[in-house]
Order: sequence, then C-alpha cells, then structure tokens
Amino acid sequence: MDKIRYYDIRCVNGDTTSIQIENGEIENAGSSYYGKALVRVLGENGWGYCCVSPFDMDDEKAKTAAIERAARSAKLASVKADIADVPYGTPRSWNAAAKEQAERPLEEKAADLLLLEKAACIDDIAATSARYAEQYQTVFFEDCNGYEAQSSVCRTLFTVSAVAVSGADMQMNYEQEAVVGPLRITDYINKGELCAKTAVDLLSASAVPGGKMPAVLDPAIGGVFAHEAVGHASEGDQIRDGVSVLGDKLGQQVGSKLVTIIDDPSMHGYGYEPFDAEGVAAGPVELIKNGVVNQFMHSRETLAAVGLETGEAGHARAEPGMNPLVRMSNTYIKEGDASYEEILETCRNGVLLIGSRGGQVDPGRGVFQFNAKYGYLIENGDTTRMLRDVSLSGDILSVLHNIALCGKERRMSSGMCGKGQAVPVSDGAPHVYLTEATVGGAGNE
Amino acid sequence: MSEIDIDAILRQGKSLADEVEVYVSRYEDLSLEQRQMAVSSVFEHAGQNIYIRVVKDGKIGVSATSDPTRIADCMKAAVSSANLSDAIAGWDGLSRKTEIANGPDPFDESLEISADVASEYLERMNAGAETYKEARVVTAGVTLLKGASILANSNGVWLERKFTDISLGIDAICEGSTGYDGDSAPFASRLNPEKIGEQTAFYATASRGGEMIESKKYDVVFSENVVDSLVLELFSDAVNGRNVITGKSIYANALGEMVANPKISLTDSPMAEAGDSWRRFDTEGTPTKQFDIVRDGVLTSFLYDKKTAAQAKTQTTGNALRAGNGTTTISPHCLTISAPTEDVLSRPCLFVKEVIGAHTANPLTGEFSVEVANAFLAEGGKLLRPVKKAMLAGNVFDILKGDITISETAKAFSGALVPQMRIPDLQVI
Repeated sequence: MDKIRYYDIRCVNGDTTSIQIENGEIENAGSSYYGKALVRVLGENGWGYCCVSPFDMDDEKAKTAAIERAARSAKLASVKADIADVPYGTPRSWNAAAKEQAERPLEEKAADLLLLEKAACIDDIAATSARYAEQYQTVFFEDCNGYEAQSSVCRTLFTVSAVAVSGADMQMNYEQEAVVGPLRITDYINKGELCAKTAVDLLSASAVPGGKMPAVLDPAIGGVFAHEAVGHASEGDQIRDGVSVLGDKLGQQVGSKLVTIIDDPSMHGYGYEPFDAEGVAAGPVELIKNGVVNQFMHSRETLAAVGLETGEAGHARAEPGMNPLVRMSNTYIKEGDASYEEILETCRNGVLLIGSRGGQVDPGRGVFQFNAKYGYLIENGDTTRMLRDVSLSGDILSVLHNIALCGKERRMSSGMCGKGQAVPVSDGAPHVYLTEATVGGAGNE
Repeated sequence: MSEIDIDAILRQGKSLADEVEVYVSRYEDLSLEQRQMAVSSVFEHAGQNIYIRVVKDGKIGVSATSDPTRIADCMKAAVSSANLSDAIAGWDGLSRKTEIANGPDPFDESLEISADVASEYLERMNAGAETYKEARVVTAGVTLLKGASILANSNGVWLERKFTDISLGIDAICEGSTGYDGDSAPFASRLNPEKIGEQTAFYATASRGGEMIESKKYDVVFSENVVDSLVLELFSDAVNGRNVITGKSIYANALGEMVANPKISLTDSPMAEAGDSWRRFDTEGTPTKQFDIVRDGVLTSFLYDKKTAAQAKTQTTGNALRAGNGTTTISPHCLTISAPTEDVLSRPCLFVKEVIGAHTANPLTGEFSVEVANAFLAEGGKLLRPVKKAMLAGNVFDILKGDITISETAKAFSGALVPQMRIPDLQVI
C-alpha cells in the first residue's frame, strides 16, 4: 500500500431543471442529472486525485479501489504539502432544500416565466428571452478521520433580457435574480418591464469619453470590485505562490480607513456553502479591515503553507468531481455612513457606473478591469446623460486609497466565478465614491 | 462503451416518441500540476456525458447526464421536455443515414495517457522558461485526454469519432510583471513546449517597468489570443443562427450586405489541415462542409443546426455542437480569416499580447473597452518598450469594416485558425 497521510471523499449528486423562452415560445425545457465523486489522497509529499462517476458512498470495495488509485497518483507528486489541523465547525443552516418548489409542475413554472418575459414586451423592444433554472445538489463528505458531513442545497435563478431597436441601432439589457433556496418568479414580474425600459433608454445613451475622472460605483459594480480586485488577491493559493500584490501586505494599510471587505460562506447568499470542499464550515472573514490587510482566505493546505495566523480555512470550493481551489463565496464592502445624495454632491463631476457585465483581475500585477451595464454622467452633483458601454480599470492598491465615501445601504448581486472551475458567488457593496478612476469608453471622437 | 446500451436507449425512446437520438461522449484524462518547479498533484479522471433528444409531434425534448445509472430518468425527462416545448414549424426530422466523407479524426494514436509523458511536457516547458532566468515560473499544468463519441438515432444513423487533446499552460512572474502562455492540440507533433515556456518567461521579463503612454489613437496589433477571445468570439455570436432568428444579432437583417472590408473573407473550414477540431459530421450527424460566412466583405451565410435551420426556413450548415443540458449549440468548427497580409509589427504600433476583460465586451453591439496586459510599443518587427497601463476602446464590427491587415501565420485554437491582426486608429486610454 502506498503511503497515505490523509484522504477524503466528496461525492456530489444533483439535478438541474431549466426552461428557456425566446420571443414568447418555449425554446427548451427539461432536466439533466449528474453524479461524481472526487477521492483525494495526500501521499508522502503531495496530492493524488481520482474522479469517479457514478459513485456509491456505501460501496466499500469501490471506495477502497478509488483511494488506492489516488494514492498511486499521489506517489508521483514531489512537492511537499501539509494540511492545517482546523476545527470542522458547525454549518449554518438556511432554508435551502426547497421541497415544495421541486414538487411544483414544470408547466406552472414555465407559465410564470412566460409572464415575466411578456412584461418585457414594450414599445421598441424587438426581442425578448427568459431563462429559469433550479438546481438541487446533495454533497456527501467523509475523511480518513471518520468525519462525515452531508448537505442539500437548492439554487434557483431567472434571467430576463430584452433587445431594443431603433433604425440600425440596437441595445440589450438583462436582469437576473439568483438565490439559495426557492424563488417565486411571480414576485419579480416588474423586472421584465424594468429590463426592457433600460434597453430602450440605452438607444439614446452616449458613449463615455475615456480618461481619469472621479467615479461612483453602484452596489452591483462595487461588489464586482470587492470580488475581482480584493477577493482574488486574498486567495491563499495566490498568496502562497507569491502572485498577489497583497501577499506581503498583511497588517499594512493599503486603502482608505472607510474600507472593510468581508467574505462570508455562511451568509444566505448565492455563494452559500454549508461546509467547503474539505468539510470545513466557515464564517465571515474580514479581508480588509478599516483599510488594513487583515486576513486571507485559505484551504487547509494554504493555511498550513502560508501560516496559521494569516487567515482561516473553510474557503476551498470545487465543481463536482474537481479538485478544491481557494475561492470566494459571498464577498462585500461593508456599509459606511454617507447618503446617496451626499456621494453625488461630493463627486460633483464624474461618472456613475451601474450594474455589472463582468470583470477580470491579474492579482500578480494588481490590475483589474470591469464593465458596467450602463452609467450616467455626474454634472454639478446630479446625474445627467445616460452612458453606455462604460468600463473601469485600475490598480488595486491605488483604487483602495481612492475610496472617499461609502453609502449606508448595501445590496448583493449573484453570479458565477470562473477560476478554471465555475462556482456560484454573490458580491455587493453600498454606493462607493472614488476620487479618481480610469474610465474606458468609445466617446473620445 | 459496452456498459451503455445505446440500442436499448433507442428502442425505449422510440416507444415513447416519434424520433430519438443518443449522443455519448466518453473520455479519460490525466493532469499534472506543477508548483516550485516540481509535480505538486496528479489528477486522474474518467467519465462520460450522455445526451438524449426525443421528438414528438415536432416538439424537441432534451436531457443529459454524466451518470449512466440515471439513463432512465434522463429518458423520462427528455419526453417531459418535449411535451412542454413548442413545436418547431418546418422540422424535417433527425438526421438520416447519409454518406460521410472519409477523413481523419483529431486523434493521435500514439498518445499515451501517462504521468511520464505529462512530466516530460512539464520539463520541456521549464527548459524553455530557463531562457529568461530572471523570471520565476509560478505554476504549470499538463492535461492529456483521449476520448470517443457515438451519435446514434432512430433513423439508423450511427457515427463514431475519436479525439485526443494535449493541453499545456505555464505562468511566470518577474518583479511584479506576469506572463502566461499555453497551447493545446490533438497531436503531439503540433506542440512546442519549449517555445511556450520561453514565451511565458519572456513576457514576464520584458513587461517589467513599462511606461505610461499618451491617450490617443494608435495602430494596434492584437496577438492571436486577443483576436480569438475578442474579435472572433463576438463575430461568431453575431453569425450564430440562433441569435439571428431570435433578433439578438446585429447581422440579423444583413445577409447579402457589406459587413466587412471588401478585402476580408471569413470561412468555416471544418477539415482545415492546420485546424485542431476536425469534424466530418456535426453532433446531429450532418456532414460538415467548408463555406464562406463573409466573402469579400459581404455576409453570405449564417451558422445553423437543424432546429434553427427549420425555424429560419433554410438548411442546416452542420454546425451543431452539444451543451451541458443536451441542447445543441452552434459554433464554427474552424473559422479562418483572409485579409491583406503584412509583417504586422514592421510599422510603429502598440502590440497587445493579452487583454483583461475580453468577456465583458457587448456581444450585441460589439463595443468593448478592455485593459491591456503584456503590451509594447513596437516597430521594425521588434517589441521596443513595455507599456505599463492602457485601455483599448472600440467596436469589433467596425474593426472588421476597417483597413485591417493580418500576419502570414496563424495559431490553431479550438474552433479557429487565428492570425495576429493590425488595426489602424484604435482609441487607447
């Protein structure tokens, strides 16, 4: 038998039901099923992984065979890895199983989705679509120490989109809601019309002249900043590998004292994990506290490698059958005490960025970019012209210092984060005022 | 594929619906991850994806599973799906048996899925990176994959395809400057691991320092990666038949019109010799073909699968691939671009190896504003000085209408053969 210092098994079974509507017709609807287990062995030095599908947790013979196979792989790894001894914690439980929703006929959900999509059919809208998906996932976890954990989590989402047309000009907008637990589409019918109105308004929006200027981030795009710029740079594997600009900044002031950024897997957000891919239940971690780098997010391995005093484990996440990676869950900038009006008045002249079309970061260089759905010019403390295709880039450390005001109300938005594997996350912020930011747009003619 | 009884699935499906189709893709892969210049983990994976489609009264139902023990659930879900979906006007049935041209699969018979083979790739990338000793290799990875697929339907179609893939990637850092390079190919002979390592270390080293540049319009040269992830990605979305018929393409009413510079043509060449994803038939069993999408600047064709072709009252172009829930997706098999060629770095320009945020571009209008990474002022074929920070703003569809030129050589990506592209007068912020 090859040497085994540790092993664990994470078996994930689930099904996803989705409905897609295009221009009033059901394009497709139905369910898909998955079941995969990852058996992970820490050998004399490093890790061996074996993905098995299908997998029965009660089949001891299959279990032994998979462990032996992973142990053979681990024998080939020559970089020494250790895992920190951490408490497993107590999972925080939310109403995440959604039994009633699962039992509701697909036809009724499709009818609700058609109503949502129909609400987007207003003047100047040429095309609409809507998508609904519910996923029920059960995770069984056990390790060589006899620890066992089990969770069942439902995630539900809808997206509605609309394309507005005027002559040769076209603009698109979408609205989304994604939650852990059940979701009633009928509670969100107004989002259809809201989505369409914004698409129509974008037809008369201007391109922003790019350059350095003051900026106000709404809660959605402020959340993307927290996730992309600070979250990824606070991941334990980036710190261990020396490719984060925050890596050598623990305990140092890197931003305005107004800035506190938190990641919380236990929060009732789309990134909720009762326990992580190593079986560890984690609570909130203050990544930045009053502008000071306070803690990093870790797996058991990166915590051991970087140092027990540098943060907390419980942040390893994985797609079914995949290896755990240090990831965020629900990440947000903590509320401040400024009103929205005060933020605009202080900014005076700049841009307001609203909604997120996604972003990306290079944590090693400390450079990030993200794109807003739209924005407004701020002139003399008021929002004026609507702006389309407005983006923002910068270096993390400068922008953290440029945060001069944080609003009183925080909102969270949901989405998926890609880092080789896609996992559900949420992020949020209050309105945030930046004294200077690099704004990108095509309005420099 | 002995444990998945495809004939039994077809028989069961035929008893429940008018037509049934099964697509099974099985694979085994092995991945090595490197840290601290040595193997840190080894990952073995074997699995399958099973996709079922049924057609009942012109209504298509889909389902999929990665778990062979759930095939019965999958069939039931596909039938429920068909019951709920709207009928497709003009649906002319699943593929029928037809002659498929002879040709190779993207399959390297000699590829051995072993840790020794994978380790050798890591060593060769590391050796290449040694060329620039100041750079520190952070991580590297190798995945070796071998697989096969079967498409079968109730019309008697039974088609098999084999595939292999070798994926390499490596990243490095040098005084806060990062570099990354990677490549993948079905054949070992097409990969140059030493060059991948060397390029990674070169870009990490050469990008150090960097100067701020004036905000104005520059002639910009996109690397193959940027052309693929920004220009061809948005173009492919715009010619996707599903986006066209649902009104989500800027080209929806532009068939026969000039959409690009008259010197530009874009073609799908599924069996292009240098391509990476040879397909003689698509995932519905339609024989693939080479055809122009844009010829001399004129939009001549969209890409369709059978369903969208029926909706558009035309013929499928054989561009169906398969998505996670069993539906078909539409994509070019090997998009090629022809345009005037030149040594794109000979005249003064801003060369951009990577951009951050390509996926945030507006897929409908083509507008983008992205941050550069590994960018240089270049001239006379040489990268002269690194640029510290800059944003690029423009519109992909306007770029194709402009006086672009491309490099003589092209890099193979999954779905395209991609040259470098020189774009005049692009806004840099």
